[in-house]
Amino acid sequence: MSLYEIDQLAVEIAGKRLVQNVSLTVEAGQCTAIIGGSGSGKSLTCLTPFGLSPGIASGAMILDGIDLASADHQQLRNARSRLTGFVFQQPQTALTPHLTVGSQLQEAAMQAGSPRPSRKELALMLERVGLTRADERLDQFPHRLSGGERQRVMIAAAIAHHPKLLIADEPTSALDASLRAEIMDLLDELRAEHQLGMLLVSHDLASVEGHADQLVVMAKGRLVEKGATRTIITRPAKDYTRRLIAATPRLDEAPPKLGQPGEPLLETVDVGVEFPRPGWRSGKIRAVVNADIMIRQGESLALVGGSGSGKSTLGRAIAGIGPVTSGEIRWQGAPLPGRRQRNLAMRQLIQPVFQDPVASLDPQWRVEDIVSEPLRNLRPGLIAVDRSEMARQAMLEVDLTEDFLSRSPASLSGGQAQRVAIARAVIAAPQLLVLDEATSALDPLVGAEILDLLLRLQADNGLSLLFITHDVAAARRICHRIAVMEEGRIVESGAMQAVIEHPKHPATQRLVAAS
Amino acid sequence: MLKRHLPLALVLLIAALALLLPFFLPWSYDQIDWDAVRAPAFSEPHIFGTDDIGRDRLARLAAGTRITLLVAMAAALVSLVVGIAWGATAGWIGGKVDELMMRIVDGLYALPFMFIVILLMVVFGRSILLVFVGIGLVEWLTMARVVRGQVMALKQRPFILAAEAAGTPSTTIVLRHILPNIAGVALAYLMLTVPQVVMVESFLSFLGLGVQEPLTSLGILVKEGADDMDMAPLGLLLPGGLLVLILVCLTIEGERLRDRFS
Amino acid sequence: MLALITRRLMTAIPTLLVIILASFFLMRLAPGGPFDGERPLDPATQAALQQAYGLDRPLWEQAWLYISRLVQGDFGPSLVYRDFTVSELIAQGLPISLTLGGLAIVLALMIGVTAGLFAAVRAGQAADKTIMMLATVATALPTFVTGPALALFFGLWLGLLPVSGTGQGGAWLIMPVVALALPVSGAIAKLTRAGLASVLKQDHIRTARARGLPEVKILFKHGLRPALVPVASYLGPAAAGLLTGAVVVETVFGLPGLGRYFVQGALNRDYPLVLGVVTLYAALIILFNLFADLIYGWLDPRMREG
Repeated sequence: MSLYEIDQLAVEIAGKRLVQNVSLTVEAGQCTAIIGGSGSGKSLTCLTPFGLSPGIASGAMILDGIDLASADHQQLRNARSRLTGFVFQQPQTALTPHLTVGSQLQEAAMQAGSPRPSRKELALMLERVGLTRADERLDQFPHRLSGGERQRVMIAAAIAHHPKLLIADEPTSALDASLRAEIMDLLDELRAEHQLGMLLVSHDLASVEGHADQLVVMAKGRLVEKGATRTIITRPAKDYTRRLIAATPRLDEAPPKLGQPGEPLLETVDVGVEFPRPGWRSGKIRAVVNADIMIRQGESLALVGGSGSGKSTLGRAIAGIGPVTSGEIRWQGAPLPGRRQRNLAMRQLIQPVFQDPVASLDPQWRVEDIVSEPLRNLRPGLIAVDRSEMARQAMLEVDLTEDFLSRSPASLSGGQAQRVAIARAVIAAPQLLVLDEATSALDPLVGAEILDLLLRLQADNGLSLLFITHDVAAARRICHRIAVMEEGRIVESGAMQAVIEHPKHPATQRLVAAS
Repeated sequence: MLKRHLPLALVLLIAALALLLPFFLPWSYDQIDWDAVRAPAFSEPHIFGTDDIGRDRLARLAAGTRITLLVAMAAALVSLVVGIAWGATAGWIGGKVDELMMRIVDGLYALPFMFIVILLMVVFGRSILLVFVGIGLVEWLTMARVVRGQVMALKQRPFILAAEAAGTPSTTIVLRHILPNIAGVALAYLMLTVPQVVMVESFLSFLGLGVQEPLTSLGILVKEGADDMDMAPLGLLLPGGLLVLILVCLTIEGERLRDRFS
Repeated sequence: MLALITRRLMTAIPTLLVIILASFFLMRLAPGGPFDGERPLDPATQAALQQAYGLDRPLWEQAWLYISRLVQGDFGPSLVYRDFTVSELIAQGLPISLTLGGLAIVLALMIGVTAGLFAAVRAGQAADKTIMMLATVATALPTFVTGPALALFFGLWLGLLPVSGTGQGGAWLIMPVVALALPVSGAIAKLTRAGLASVLKQDHIRTARARGLPEVKILFKHGLRPALVPVASYLGPAAAGLLTGAVVVETVFGLPGLGRYFVQGALNRDYPLVLGVVTLYAALIILFNLFADLIYGWLDPRMREG
C-alpha cells in the first residue's frame, strides 16, 4: 500500500470546479512531483486535501490508512500535526515575524505531542539543515535571516516532529538561482534519512527532474499524464508534455542558430551606480561597481546573476531609466548622457521590457494608447491615423490580433501582456532592447514562445538584446555571449558556450550548476 | 443602487432639505416669534417648536446644516488640494526631499492640532473663511500621507519606467499616469475627510470659536441645546441626532469607497 | 532599541521648541491684549502692567526669557488668574485631565480590541456586521453631543449620575470617560478587525495551520500581535483626540481640568497660561508617540530597525 494515495480528486471553490480527476500516489522514501503552469491546479491538489486552501476537496485521499475525505475538522488537524510537514514557496512570509526561530521550531517539534525539546536538540535540528551558528539563530527573529536561511528553518520545522509525508509547494521558486540546487539536495538527503514520502510541486520541470521518482503533469485543473520520471522525460505520451519538455531550456540541448553580430553598438566603461542609504544615515550602497560590457549590432548579451547582484540596476542605467554615478555609457563610441539629459533621439535607440508583464502596463489605459505611447513623444510628426496604423503593425509583429488594441490590460493573460509590452518597446524602431527577466514570471510554455519571438525580431530587424536573467539555460537559447555579475561587479564574461563549459568564477559555477 | 448607497442618498436628501426649506418656511432662522417663545414640538406653525427666545427650530436646523455642510465641503477641498500637492511632490521627487517633507507631516501629526486651530481662531478673529481654511489646513495630513504612499508605490511600477523610456515628459507622466491611478483612493479619503471636518467645525462652534452669530451651525445649535437641555431636551437631541446621522452616513460611504480602492 | 529612543528624543526636542515658538509668536500677533477689560485702563496703569509682565520688551527677548524659564520648570504667572502661577494652575488641572484621558484610553482599548477580535473571528457573519456597524456609529459620536446627551439621560432624567463637578467617589468620572472613550473604541475596534483580517490571510498563519495548531492558539499566538500594529499607530492621534475631547467634556461636566483653563485662557488672551497648556499637551503627545513606537517593536520586531 502506498503511503499517500489520491484517487479521483476534485476541488471546488465557490461552486467552480478548478481541479478534477486527479489521481496520484506517493511512496515512503520516494518523491512524487506535480508539474504544471499557473492555473494548472497543482497547488490546490496538494493543499486542499489537508484543509489548507479555500477549496473543498472530494474523492478519495488516503494518508497512512486515514481517509482525509471523510475526516472531520479535528481529525484533519490531527493528521496534519502528526503525519505531514509542509514547506511553502515564500520563506520571507511563511514564518511568524514576532516569534524567534527557536520558539517556532520548538512549536513544530511539539506539534505531534512530543515533549519539549532541549535547546541543544533545537540547535542540532538547525545544524542538520545546514545552518551555521545554530545556537545563535535560535534567538533571532526570522527577518534577520536571508531567504535561503529562512527556507532551511522552514524545512527543519517541517520535519521536526518526524512526519511521514513532506509536502513542498514550490520550495525553491522564490530563492536565488544558485541556492536552488542546494535546497533540493537537502530535501533529497532528509527524505532518504527519514524514509519520508515527498509530494513536490513545481512549475519548472528542469528543477525537479533529477529529484522526483514519479512525475505528474497537470494543466488547466486536469491530469495530463503521470508515470516514472525517466519514462516521461524520454518518451512523453501526450503532446502537452512534449511541448513542455521542448519549452524547458536545458544546457545540454543543441546550441541555437544565431545571426552574425556587426559593429559594437553599446559600451559601458567603468560604470558605477551608488544609492544613498535610506533615511538620514550616511554612506552609500554600491549597486554596480566598475562594470564594463559591450554589445554589438544584432547581438544578444546575457547579463546573468543572482538577486541583488546589480544586474537590473546596470540594465536600467543603460536604458536611461536609472541613475549612473560614475563611468560612461557609449553608443557607437559617442557618450550617452545620464537619465535626465537623454534627448528623444537617444531615447528612441534603447527600450526596456520588464519582468512583471501586468505591472508594465498602466491599468487605466487601453492597449492602443499603451502601445503608441512611444510614438507620441519619439515621433511627434506622426498624425493619429499613422499612429494607429503603426500600432496595428506592432501588434501583428508580436503575434497578437488587432482587436487587442481596444482591450484593457486587466483582461490580458501574462503572455499577452508581455507581448503588448514588447510591441510598445519595438514600435519606435529601437536598436537595443533591455529585457529585465522578461520571461521569468511566465509559464514555461509561454516563456519559450517569448524567447522565439525575440529571436525572430532580432533576425528580422537586426535588433540587439541585453537579456538580463538568473537563468543560464534560458539565456543560452538566444544569446551569443554572457556576462556574469556578483555583488555589483562583472566577474566573468565570454562566449556563451565557452563559459558554460568552463565556468571559472565560483558565482558562474553556481549559476551553471543551478540550470 | 439606491439601496447600496442609502447613506449617501440620506446625506444628499438632508442637504437638499437644508437648501430648499427656507423657501417654504414662513420663518427665517434668526426671526423671533414673540407669540410663541418656547413653543413645544408639533405646535402650529412651528413643527419642532421654538427655542428659548422664540426662533423656529426647523428653520435653525436647516440654516445650521447648510453652514456645516458648506464649511465641510470647502475645507475638504482645501485638504484635497494641499494633500495631493504635498504628497505627490514628496513621493515623486523622493530621496531627501521626501524624507524632509514627510518628517514635517509626521511632526504636524504629533501636534495637539485642535489647539493650534483654536489659537488661530483667537488670533485672527472668528471668521467663517478662516474656519474652513484652518480646518482644511489641518486635515490635509492624512491625504498627503496616503497620496505619497500611492505615488511611491506607483513610481516603482514598470509602466512608469517604460513611459520614461518612451520619452514621456515628467509632467505628462504625473498627469496622465500617476494622477489617474491615485484618483480613486484620493476620492475615498476626500469622502472620509468630510465627516472629520464636520466634526472639527462643530467642535469649534460648540466652544464658541467657530461660526459666529448671527450665522449658525450644527455645533452652535448643539451648544445652545446643551445649555437649555433641562428645559427643552429637543433643542439638544434634534441637532445632535442630525449631526450624528450625517457623520455616520458619510463615514460609511467613505469607508466603502476606501475599501474598494485599496 | 535604546538607539531608537535616543533618536526619537533627539527629534522631539526641536519639535517641541518649534511648537512653543510658533504658539508664542502667533499669540502675540493677535490684536488686543490681556488687559482689555470692560473698562479701558488708564495708559499709565496699562504701561505699568506691561512692564511688570515684561510685555514691553522686544518679542525675541520675551521668547528667549520664556524658554529659559521653562527649562527650569517655570511657566510664568497667569495674566488672568492673577493670584496663581501657570504652574499652579497646571498642577490643579493636569491630574483631572490625565485621569479622564488615561481611563478613557484604557476603556477604549478594552472595548475596541475585544469587539474587533470577536468580529474578526466571526468574519462575514451577522455578529461581525453588527459589531462593525456599531463601531462606525461610535466613531461618529462627537463628545460634545454624547456628553450633554448622557448628562440629559443619566443625570437629569434618571438621576443616576452627577451632572457636574468632581464630587465624592468615582461616579463623576463615569459619564465623561464614556463620552471620551466611545469614538476611540469604535476606531480601535475597526482597526483591530481589519488588522486581524489581513494577518489571518498571511502565509505564516497557513504555516501555523499546517502544524495542526488549534484555531485559538493560531489567533492569539501567531495572529494577534502583528494585527495590533495599526492600533499602535493610532495611539498617538487617539491621545491627541482625547486631550481635545477633554476640553469639551470638562466644559460640559464642569470639571476644573486643563482643557477648561485652555479655552478660558485663549478667550482672555492669557498668554502664559495658553502657552503652558499647549507646551504640556505637545510634550504629552510626543511622549505618547514615543510609547507607541516602543509598542511597535514589540508587536513586530521588523520595526525595531526603524
